[in-house]
Amino acid sequence: MAALGTARCLFQSFYRVKDVQRIRKTLLKCNARTFCDETSVKGGAKPRFTDAAVQDILTRITGLDLQKVFRPIKQEMKPPTYKLMTDEQLEQAIQFATEEAKKQLQMPPVLPERKPINDVLAVDKILDGMDTAKYVFTDITYSIPHRERFIVVREPDGTLRKATWEERDRLVQVYFPKRGRKLMPHVLFKEENLKIVFSQDRHEDVLNLCLVQFEPDSADYIRVHEATYEDLEKNGKYNLLRSTRHFGGLAWYLVNARRVDGLIADMLRRDMLQDAISLVSLFHMVHPHSESAQEATSQQATGTDLLKIYSQKESQRSGYIELALQAYEEKAAEGSAS
Amino acid sequence: MLLTVYCQPPVNRQEEEEEEEEEEEDDDLSPYIPCEDKMAAYVLNISRIFSRELISASFQFHRYRSCLQRLPAVKPNPLSALLTQQFGSSAPCWQEVEVHAAQTADRYKQTPWVYLDSEEYVERYGSSAVWAGYRRNHKGGIPPQKTRKTCIRGDKICGNPCPICRDPNIIINHQNVKLLQQFISPHSGMVYDPTLTGVCMKQQKKLNEAIDKARDDGLLPFQIPHVDFSGEDYSNTHDAVGLTSPPPFLGPSEPWYKWWRLSGCEASANYPLCPSPPPLLCNRWLYWNCNFVVFLTMTIKFF
Repeated sequence: MAALGTARCLFQSFYRVKDVQRIRKTLLKCNARTFCDETSVKGGAKPRFTDAAVQDILTRITGLDLQKVFRPIKQEMKPPTYKLMTDEQLEQAIQFATEEAKKQLQMPPVLPERKPINDVLAVDKILDGMDTAKYVFTDITYSIPHRERFIVVREPDGTLRKATWEERDRLVQVYFPKRGRKLMPHVLFKEENLKIVFSQDRHEDVLNLCLVQFEPDSADYIRVHEATYEDLEKNGKYNLLRSTRHFGGLAWYLVNARRVDGLIADMLRRDMLQDAISLVSLFHMVHPHSESAQEATSQQATGTDLLKIYSQKESQRSGYIELALQAYEEKAAEGSAS
Repeated sequence: MLLTVYCQPPVNRQEEEEEEEEEEEDDDLSPYIPCEDKMAAYVLNISRIFSRELISASFQFHRYRSCLQRLPAVKPNPLSALLTQQFGSSAPCWQEVEVHAAQTADRYKQTPWVYLDSEEYVERYGSSAVWAGYRRNHKGGIPPQKTRKTCIRGDKICGNPCPICRDPNIIINHQNVKLLQQFISPHSGMVYDPTLTGVCMKQQKKLNEAIDKARDDGLLPFQIPHVDFSGEDYSNTHDAVGLTSPPPFLGPSEPWYKWWRLSGCEASANYPLCPSPPPLLCNRWLYWNCNFVVFLTMTIKFF
């Protein structure tokens, strides 16, 4: 009898599992706010940050300055080691260093803001007024990812609800502390203090600290990143983030906001023509319905023609871009003539 | 002519006594006595100085008091006190120096970082750190592993105070970044041990707290660990963080068990006496999850 009962329960649970998965899929499809639904639309889909083509362009734009990536940092001092190497060994060492640098320059994820958790599991009115404090129950099993950890809160009025995102982050940090993360975020992340730090040109430090402290889909993370990118764009200090892991995020933000002129001008000033062309092609990829994109596709333009089309149609600082292009063409002509 | 009017040395004994009383009453100086006539008055009163048994703070103080007329008590205006010095006194009068010192100490209390840019600091320390050149006094070759607990107990200051206690203008504050950086190694970013700098334990604790606060506020840069984002799932579809969908074949009002009457038992007064499963299993989602886990383990066992 017991065996039959358990078998029936198992069968029912299996049925429920299948059903729930089906329901979940329909929910996802119906819910317009999830970022997954773009994958289902084929042809003319809006490219996402994680697409291979986009990532390829962004890594190319970021560059790889080994001197900057492996600059001396403040750490526990060890006596230096010296090695005698042949040319081949030196090349191998440089290759190894470039691979390590690529791991260091891995771009942090760009995600939409997470939806708040408002899920009440039970209301036990018998417990109303029993206690003056909330009780938080956390599942501290070591082997489960933090996003699958159940954390529930029993309110003094007897409601049992799932913990909010802020409570979740705080409690996970209490039981599974992460290196560099504090329970209360740094005072640095407030608006007034951010301005002081930006005036000292320490944008990279702010972004690194933000990565350590906040989750990638939290509101604070997005706010700090946006503030940093806005300040960089306003002052034109793009070179601070070049050859760091944050440059991709900056370029993506500017492309989505359609304010790439400053960045293109900066690239042309530093004679990085290929980077400018890649950036314009990324712009056309992300905004395929803009005038310059349509013009480019109709003319099948490549190279400096792309830049010219962009400067004519879309850019607000077209004069500067055209001048820079002219200067580059003159240099190229002189180089080919001599 | 004006000068002679002010500076009339008293001759009578009665006036001497009055002067003594004046000396005792308050230390307010008249700012209007120029120092040039002090020497003349001093010669006249030299015999009085020797006859007096009262010891004053300095001979300059005596010179001033002997020249005093009965003027209404005027509070020493620091600006005018400085102006009188321009009349050619050899050394500044100690009262003015005291007032000036008190003002600078107050100023540094409010803005301690100003002192590190001042001439006084440069004269005293130059370009080296505040703790450079300080030597602890101890028996034997190896210094004790901990420096002294504190240099100042109440009003008493010890002999050979530590680099921070010996200079009252050096104030440890989280905004005083230049001072804090002198106690952090420029190569490894670690705070120096007190046995190296010679600082007493009380000041070392204050220093550590100030450095932490400065790093928190973003005034002091520090090395931030690298975060790895590979292998993390940010889809937020798991039940722990997403919406738990209700089981499809049961309505919201239907109980999980057929024998569990939610409305009946809860409404009745003898709630604890109802035959009920433990409250934890009333939660549908937890029960469903337990079932799912059991099912999974069963399937794993089969395969």
